[in-house]
Amino acid sequence: MTEHSDSSCNVYGIRHHGPGSARSLLQALEADPPDCLLLEGPPDASDVLHLAGKAEMKPPVALLVYVTANPQQAVYYPFAEFSPEWQAIRFGLKRGIPVRFMDLPQTHRLAMYPYEAGENSPPDDPPEPSPVNDPLDLLAAAAGFNDGERWWEYIVEHRRESSGIFTGIGEAMRALRDSEAGAHFTLQRGQIDGLREAHMRQTIRTARSEGFSRIAVVCGAWHAPVLPGPVRCKEDAEMLKKLPKVKVSSTWIPWTLDRLSLSSGYGAGIESPGWYGHLWKTGRTRSSLENRSRTVTIRWMTKVAKLLREADLDASTASVIEAVRLAEALAALRHRPLPGLEEMTEATQTIFCFGNPTPLKLISKRLIIGEKLGEVPSETPLVPLQQNLTSEQKRLKLTPAGVKDLLQLDLRKPLDLGRSCLLHRLNLLGINWGSVSQTGNQTGTFHEHWRMNWKPEFAVRVIEMAAWGNTLVEAAGNFVQQTARQTKLLAELTELLDRLLLADLPTAVAFVLGRIQDEAALTGDTVHLMEALPPLAKVLRYGNVRQTDLRAVGQMVDTILTRICISLPLACASLDNAAAGEMAARLTKVHQAVGLLNLEEKTVEWNAVLLQLAEQSTGHGLISGRAIRFLLDGKALEPTDVSRRMGLALAPANPPASCAAWVEGFLQGSGLLLLHDLTLWEVLDRWVCGLSEEQFISVLPLVVRTFSKFPAPERRNMGELVKRGQSQAVPLGGSGSGREQHQSFDPERAAEMLPLLRQLLGLEIQPV
Amino acid sequence: MSIIQREHAETQFATELAEIGKNDTHQRPPNWKLSPWAVATYVLGGKLENGFEVSPKYIGRRRLIEIAIATLTTDRALLLIGVPGTAKSWVSEHLAAAISGDSALLIQGTAGTGEESIRYGWNYARLLAEGPSREALVPSPIMRGMEFGKVVRLEELTRVPSDVQDTLITILSEKTLPVPELNSEIQATKGFNVIATANDRDRGVNELSSALKRRFNTVVLPLPESVDEEVTIVQQRVASLGRALELPAEPPALEEIRRVVTIFRELRGGVSLDGKTKLKSPSATLSTAEAISVVNSGLALAAHFGDARLQAADLAAGIVGAVVKDPVQDRVVWREYLETVVKERDGWKDLYRACREVS
Repeated sequence: MTEHSDSSCNVYGIRHHGPGSARSLLQALEADPPDCLLLEGPPDASDVLHLAGKAEMKPPVALLVYVTANPQQAVYYPFAEFSPEWQAIRFGLKRGIPVRFMDLPQTHRLAMYPYEAGENSPPDDPPEPSPVNDPLDLLAAAAGFNDGERWWEYIVEHRRESSGIFTGIGEAMRALRDSEAGAHFTLQRGQIDGLREAHMRQTIRTARSEGFSRIAVVCGAWHAPVLPGPVRCKEDAEMLKKLPKVKVSSTWIPWTLDRLSLSSGYGAGIESPGWYGHLWKTGRTRSSLENRSRTVTIRWMTKVAKLLREADLDASTASVIEAVRLAEALAALRHRPLPGLEEMTEATQTIFCFGNPTPLKLISKRLIIGEKLGEVPSETPLVPLQQNLTSEQKRLKLTPAGVKDLLQLDLRKPLDLGRSCLLHRLNLLGINWGSVSQTGNQTGTFHEHWRMNWKPEFAVRVIEMAAWGNTLVEAAGNFVQQTARQTKLLAELTELLDRLLLADLPTAVAFVLGRIQDEAALTGDTVHLMEALPPLAKVLRYGNVRQTDLRAVGQMVDTILTRICISLPLACASLDNAAAGEMAARLTKVHQAVGLLNLEEKTVEWNAVLLQLAEQSTGHGLISGRAIRFLLDGKALEPTDVSRRMGLALAPANPPASCAAWVEGFLQGSGLLLLHDLTLWEVLDRWVCGLSEEQFISVLPLVVRTFSKFPAPERRNMGELVKRGQSQAVPLGGSGSGREQHQSFDPERAAEMLPLLRQLLGLEIQPV
Repeated sequence: MSIIQREHAETQFATELAEIGKNDTHQRPPNWKLSPWAVATYVLGGKLENGFEVSPKYIGRRRLIEIAIATLTTDRALLLIGVPGTAKSWVSEHLAAAISGDSALLIQGTAGTGEESIRYGWNYARLLAEGPSREALVPSPIMRGMEFGKVVRLEELTRVPSDVQDTLITILSEKTLPVPELNSEIQATKGFNVIATANDRDRGVNELSSALKRRFNTVVLPLPESVDEEVTIVQQRVASLGRALELPAEPPALEEIRRVVTIFRELRGGVSLDGKTKLKSPSATLSTAEAISVVNSGLALAAHFGDARLQAADLAAGIVGAVVKDPVQDRVVWREYLETVVKERDGWKDLYRACREVS
């Protein structure tokens, strides 16, 4: 205890990310300015520490310390504006006071706890996975608070003079460390804590020996009682000897508020950064506790109301008043001096949302957590993945810009191919810098059109993805493998495979192929198989261009197609209209895929199935029609046979709706066929003519839908054919319009012409 | 034992209320019989400082009850919403009993509820004889609640026609009840408040106008979260009802109650409790209250026609009756459930056979 109030060294035990601690700390520092600031943080990052003072640095940001040779091993130290450490750093840098980190360097910690490369878990500090993140919360809970922050605020403000609070916290922590809960806590944190505290003490000693006489030590409250502490210098030095070492680098990266809620380098993640930010902002006004607490509640409820209004939900001022009152009444009922986040949320749900919990999700996302994105100055050192991306960008002459411009690539040129690969790889990593756009003047497989839009949050994404690999190739590959491991949907896997091939990532391709094989064996759903086949076939056909080993794909396509052939007839039995429509689309895709494969054996097998579909008595007209068309196109059926089958399908015995569906299925895509094969045309013509008026009206929409999709010239030709067909039909005693033409001949008027004709020809003809 | 079939909460739990009152040192809002803290203890149960055990009246999330009580301290009206059988009326009765010592100020909302049952009516004989006077006025429970500063209960608010609902607006916001005929008004005494209950299922019947909605704080009472919670509720209620009905039967075995609750939860949720089998849900609500009445009627069957021990056969009829509300649709659902789930389950053979017999 004596050493705490040591004149040469003030220890400030704080809550990581606690706005209340930040405020008290600032007041204490201002009241008693130190000549040296020591912070709990990685000394490895000392060379980038000065960047925190830059105006361009906008929290939330994080210090990233990573193993230089293997950046996947990394530790993050996030800072929000309301983090006490951040405020202390800013305070020190502004006043020109030396600021130093004093924690056990990560160069040792990362060497002691190396990560398995490619491990699934996101980067996290391994020594501190504890359910109770903040020992202060234990104290707060003992005092009946659900939120350590409001407890702190209450305690601090209550005491008025804030420097005393740190002594008090030190004492409380000492008691806690001696207690049973504390012992449990120590156990959780493990042996590393001893080393860390030893290093902190050593740093303080060094600072003292350098002649600093007013040292301020800012650390997590838990460590406060043992700094500068009872342990001798020699013991500490002994402990810290011969620690393993690994070369690390460090940098600043932009962070987001919602990622503050992850546990981080401190092992202390916070659940509600937005709420803390609110406490920090509203708490800075200098007024009495009563007023300040009111302000916190009122401002919060006003924010909630504003947010709800933006989302088009009712939130009147009267409701704000009632919500504030309810929050206060709830706090009083629970014997809490101030409403906490829990009371606020409950009051919000009861009054603004009429008991409905759904709008609370919006509030939680936008307000309680918040969506703020930090910024770092441009001179910040880059992470390896970023460096790789930048060098790739330079090599491929692509500059990140927010403007949406269209990039046209010709994949036959090496530069453009490289660009395409880069963009596809970035897309796989969730960095959608470019998106493939269909609108372009040039078409063809070797052309790609990209709509480019670089967003600032991609910087964070790049950092985030740094965990997966050093280079883009490595990171994208590892990340995709992870995704492939988690998904069970065959179609998703095959789609992934398609994208992988575009991104030219051979190792990942092999892995995903294995996954597809597994899933294809397990799935019982024909639909999944049908959706999986076309991308695979595409890979098989065009994959060669990119030098991938495709034997595995070939085998897979083989088994999948066989499975489809077995189960398809059953899957097509008894479909309703909507399901038949979807099935027909899938059928088309699979048929195209089979065509793409161009293997005789497979084609024969497939045609047999198509024939089976066409003859299925319970099948939907659309499917049967489609199957016949495919067979005709593939020359697997003679045109005469087709017209016979069409006649059967369109026989009056079948319900007109089913016939119309058959026609739709048969003619889908192109009607040119009808123009070339008049037998087919006649069958169709006979069917239409045979319909009664009522039937005609009922099938008309279906038929119109079919025909309206044909190109205009085809339709015109058909119209002409109809006309011609009718005039041909005249001699057979057909339509009325022909007879009318005959009837328009008027013998009397013709007779009037005769005298003149006679005169002209010089003939003597007796009048009739 | 009293001859009253069902006692008011304040009579039934008079001892508890008195004990809590003695131990209640917290500040009481004006005209409240107990402090908000003590009300919470009464409803949720707990141990008093002198060791007196208070039985829990509501088993479920503590914070919901706290919100409800806090609402009443802010003189805002309270609206309890939930599907049928989630203890809305039960909670409102106990809150009124604990806060005002009187749960009898009750208006039952129906499609026929008129304005006079919310405001006031007239004693026509007197009105004709004496002309309009205070004496000729027949006060509604709300009017009495306002005069004496008590909590008034309004059951099934959404069944009340919309125009009648809206007469509440003045009462809730101005806390006065104008009587234009006498050119006067009744002003509410402190402590007056309204607890309304409404049904989730027929929210559409007469939905509250937004003006009225804004005058209520809404608390949604959920269905019990876990099987154990629901079993406890059923067990406790069955025991107390059995006592009141003086049934000469043994209290039901926990296992039987658990079976009933399991069936209800599975059919309600549309999935078996192990989460493996998808089930169809019947049109019936299958609330906890219905589970209670199934067990209760089973108990009565066992007591009077059986061997005084609750057995599967005694429950079967009740269960089928609760599940099959629509004779066609629900019967299919029930048969499917019976054949796919009940039949396969270990130790449920007796129940399966009993149910087969009834359905």
